[in-house]
Amino acid sequence: MFGWKQSNAAAAKPPSPEPSPALAPVAPSQQDELMRRWIAFAGMQQRVIRTLVSEIQQTSAVVETEADSLSSRFQRLAVCAGQQTERVESLSKLAMGIEVDGEAIAIDRIAGLLEETLSDVVEKILLLSKDAMSMVYALSELNGNVNRVDSCMEELNKINRVTNMLALNARIEAERAGTAGAAFRVVAGEVRELSSATQRLSVDMATELHAVTQGIENGHETLQRVATIDMSQNLMAKDRLELLMNALIERGGNLTEVVNEAMKEAEVISADVAGMITGIQFQDRTRQRLEHVVDTLRVVDEALDELKTTTADVLDEPVVETTIDNEWVKTLLDRFTLGELRSRFVAQILEGKQPADPSETEASPSQTGTIELF
Amino acid sequence: MQIHMDNAGGPIAMSGEFTFSDHVPFKQMVTEIFAAPGRSVVIDLSKLDFIDSAGLGMLLLARDEAKKNHRELILRRPSGQVKRMFAVTKFNTLFTVEE
Repeated sequence: MFGWKQSNAAAAKPPSPEPSPALAPVAPSQQDELMRRWIAFAGMQQRVIRTLVSEIQQTSAVVETEADSLSSRFQRLAVCAGQQTERVESLSKLAMGIEVDGEAIAIDRIAGLLEETLSDVVEKILLLSKDAMSMVYALSELNGNVNRVDSCMEELNKINRVTNMLALNARIEAERAGTAGAAFRVVAGEVRELSSATQRLSVDMATELHAVTQGIENGHETLQRVATIDMSQNLMAKDRLELLMNALIERGGNLTEVVNEAMKEAEVISADVAGMITGIQFQDRTRQRLEHVVDTLRVVDEALDELKTTTADVLDEPVVETTIDNEWVKTLLDRFTLGELRSRFVAQILEGKQPADPSETEASPSQTGTIELF
Repeated sequence: MQIHMDNAGGPIAMSGEFTFSDHVPFKQMVTEIFAAPGRSVVIDLSKLDFIDSAGLGMLLLARDEAKKNHRELILRRPSGQVKRMFAVTKFNTLFTVEE
C-alpha cells in the first residue's frame, strides 16, 4: 500500500541477477539498516500518536464546550417549553368559559342561563299577548253592551217624547173641559213635569254614556297599539341567540380540542427536551472514554520511545529519517478530507511543530459553529 | 287572513297572515266552533304564512276556550315562520301540534 515492500526489497536485495535462497541469513549490516529504518519509522509513529492525542484532546474539548452550550440552550428551551405548557393550559381554561367575579363559568352553562332567561322572556311575551287580546275581547264585549245601553236610551227618549205629548194633549183636553177638568189639568202638569225630569235624566245619562263610550274607545285604541306591537321579532331573537350560543359552544369545544392537543404536544416537547438534556449530560462518559484512549496512546508512545532508545543504543551509526517515511505520511494524509486537520498533521508530523495545548484550543461554541463542507 | 270552515265538521283552514287585525273574525270563528258539538277541533295551518305575537295570544285564548268547553284544539302542519315561532315558544308543550 505505501510501497515499503518494494522499497525494502530493493534495499535488501543485492544487485546480483541470481535469486537468493528463500531462508538465507540476513547480513549484520542489513540488520542494522532495518533497525535504523524501524527506529526512524517508530519516531514517525510517535509523532502520529502525539498528533492524534492532541487531536483527540482538542476534539474532546470542543465537544465538551459544545455539549455544555447545547445543554444550556436545551435547559432554556425546557424552561420555555414549561412556560408554553402553562400558557396552553391557561388558554384551555379560557376556551372552556369566562370568569365573572372570580367564578369560572363554562360556556355551556352560560348558554343554559341564557336559554333559561330567554324562555322566561318568551313566556312573558306570550302571557302579555294573551292578556292583551283578552282585554281586546273584553273591551269589544263592553262596547257591545254600551251600544245596547245606547239603544235602550233611544227607546227611553222615544217613550219620554210620547209621554210628553200625552201630557200636552191631556192639558189641552183639561182646558177644554173648563172647571171640570181642573184636577185633570193638575195630573197633566205633573205628568209633563215627570216627563221633563225624565228628559233631563236621559240627557245626563246620554252624556255619561258618551263619556263611557269615549273611554272604552280610548282604551281600545291604546290596547290596540299595545297588542299590535309585533313581538315576533323579539321571539325570534331567542332562536338566533340559541344558534349563536350553539355556534359558540361548538367553537369552544373545537378550541378545547385543539388546545388539549397542543398541551399534549407541549408536554411531549418538554419530555423530549428533558431527555435531550440528559443525553447531552452523558457527554461526560464520552470524555472519559477519550481520556482512556489518550492514556493508552501515551503508554504506547512511551513504550515506543523506550524501545527506540534501547535499540538505538546497540547501533553503531545514528538514525536518520528517510524520505520513505515522509512519503508514507503524505500517502496517509492524502486520505484526510478535512483541510484544517490535514494542515495540523503536516505541521506536527512533517514539520515537527509542537501540538497545541488542548486547554488553549477550547473554542467557544460560536467559533466552532462553522462546518467545513467538502 | 282567510278562514275556511267546512260545514261537514272537517278541519278549519287558516291562510295568509294572522295578526291583530284578525281578532274579530277569529273570535267569531272560535265562538262558532265551540258552540257546535264535538270533541276535538283541528285547525290546518299549512297555508298560514305568518303569525305575530297577537296571533299567538289569540290561539292561547282559543285554547282556554276549548278547555272551558272540554274540547281539544289541534294545530296541524305549521310551516315556515309559523313553525319557527311555535318552536321558539314551545307551543308543542301547550297544544297538540301535528306535523
